[in-house]
Amino acid sequence: MPPIVKITNLDKYFGRLHVLKSVSLDVPERQVVCLIGRSGSGKSTLLRCINFLEEPSRGIIEVGGIQVDAEDKSKERRQLVHNVRLTTGMVFQEFNLFPHMTVLENVIEGPVTVKGMERSQAIELARQNLENVGMLFKADEYPLRLSGGQKQRVAIARALTMQPRVMLFDEPTSALDPELIGEVLSVMKKVAYEGMTMIVVTHEMGFAREVADRVVVMSEGKLIEDAAPEELFSHPKDPRTQALIDRYRSEGA
Amino acid sequence: MALTEKHESTSHAEQLYQAQLRRDRIFRANVGVSWAVLFLILIFLFSGQKFELGDFTFKTISLNTSFIVKNLWFIAQGLGQTLLISSLSILFAMTLALFAALGRLSAFPPFYAVSTFYVSLIRGTPLYLQIFFFFLALPQLGIVLSGLVSGVLALGLNYGAYMSETFRAGLSSVGKGQREAAMALGMTPGQTMRRVVLPQALRFAIPPMGNDFISMTKDSALVSATGFVHELMWRAVKVGRAQFNNLEALIIAAIFYWMMTLILTYIQGKIETHLAKGDR
Repeated sequence: MPPIVKITNLDKYFGRLHVLKSVSLDVPERQVVCLIGRSGSGKSTLLRCINFLEEPSRGIIEVGGIQVDAEDKSKERRQLVHNVRLTTGMVFQEFNLFPHMTVLENVIEGPVTVKGMERSQAIELARQNLENVGMLFKADEYPLRLSGGQKQRVAIARALTMQPRVMLFDEPTSALDPELIGEVLSVMKKVAYEGMTMIVVTHEMGFAREVADRVVVMSEGKLIEDAAPEELFSHPKDPRTQALIDRYRSEGA
Repeated sequence: MALTEKHESTSHAEQLYQAQLRRDRIFRANVGVSWAVLFLILIFLFSGQKFELGDFTFKTISLNTSFIVKNLWFIAQGLGQTLLISSLSILFAMTLALFAALGRLSAFPPFYAVSTFYVSLIRGTPLYLQIFFFFLALPQLGIVLSGLVSGVLALGLNYGAYMSETFRAGLSSVGKGQREAAMALGMTPGQTMRRVVLPQALRFAIPPMGNDFISMTKDSALVSATGFVHELMWRAVKVGRAQFNNLEALIIAAIFYWMMTLILTYIQGKIETHLAKGDR
């Protein structure tokens, strides 16, 4: 089976800064991949290039069979990027819920505005997904009234209601108070066990160890190690991976 | 024992809170009384009283009451025109301000240039000149506009330039994350603007726009200079000059402007608290 996400020789520059250095990564369907690395290693940038929130400078990204060349200048490219975004769902560190909409309105916004889905049908789907993340009881609240953990669960429901084939998580628990991290991780675990393909940028080593099929380590814009979690955490090959794991251990993560 | 301690500490907090409330109440009461005194002094100054202190005779200003009674209604009829000009102008100004703000934030050079050029030109010239430009200068080019249309165009253009800053601040207040979330859902730039950015930006811009509307009601007095718009100021000047009772006429107009401002400020305050309550 061909991979659902295929990144080939991706480069990204921020001005003169070379933040991704010819990165290649294949993710098969239903796999959960955790991207780890120090801050500034390029892991978030790589994730954000997958749905073109960040424009890659060079290389090819293929998601669900839709192939986009970073250097393509044609008019069709915009449509391809749009299709990639419909194939992916994204969850942000800062939740980014729409503050002027209720929880339910947040969740149906995508299907109704972007896909042109019937409102009643979107509501039904949204309620299912809110139920799944345990947030249906707050459907008519505004995001301001929710805790960080609740906001992030709603954000996950919002992304899932677009029925993506791949979910991208950009440090989904980094902005949360420690006691709220668990509820978000358990929702993510549930999504993973339902068979969703997930790429997760995270510092939660416990989650990576328990849920991930694969852990990919980045350093200075390159992938330096790529292995199953038990293998990676017990026998890291690269000294930088070892250093990273030691650091997480000393922080008690 | 522990119970009484707890009880005492809450009642202490309650005491502090009550004291704070009392201080606030006393402050407000003092301000109210002072306003009333200032108001009475103002009335006294215009009451036409005469009284003697030793060798000196003092007289406060006396107003021609029969003139006031006769012309009050005539001047009051200008309120409608004043509010009409202000409302039309603010609608025009808001439209212009929105486009100017979008242009100012645009990465497309011509849009950016048009926006900054417009704002610079309008802010660099007097409002009074702009009103006359539309009313007196355009006819030379064969474009004859009524006083009302000239006034609305000039006020709208003028306020639009200033209000574009408000809109720009509103648009910039919407975080980058909001746009990214919309894009990640697959929204087009147009959908992102309409569904996500604008509703939040407008909410941010409503209180300052209320202020602009209130100052517009007063700047609309300048339109009277065209001589063809029968709003408050025009009416006051007309009857004041005709009967040489400018003092009375202008005082009447001033009272109307002031009352209007007080009422609009009150309404705006209500809107603001309503928005703050729903702050979401």
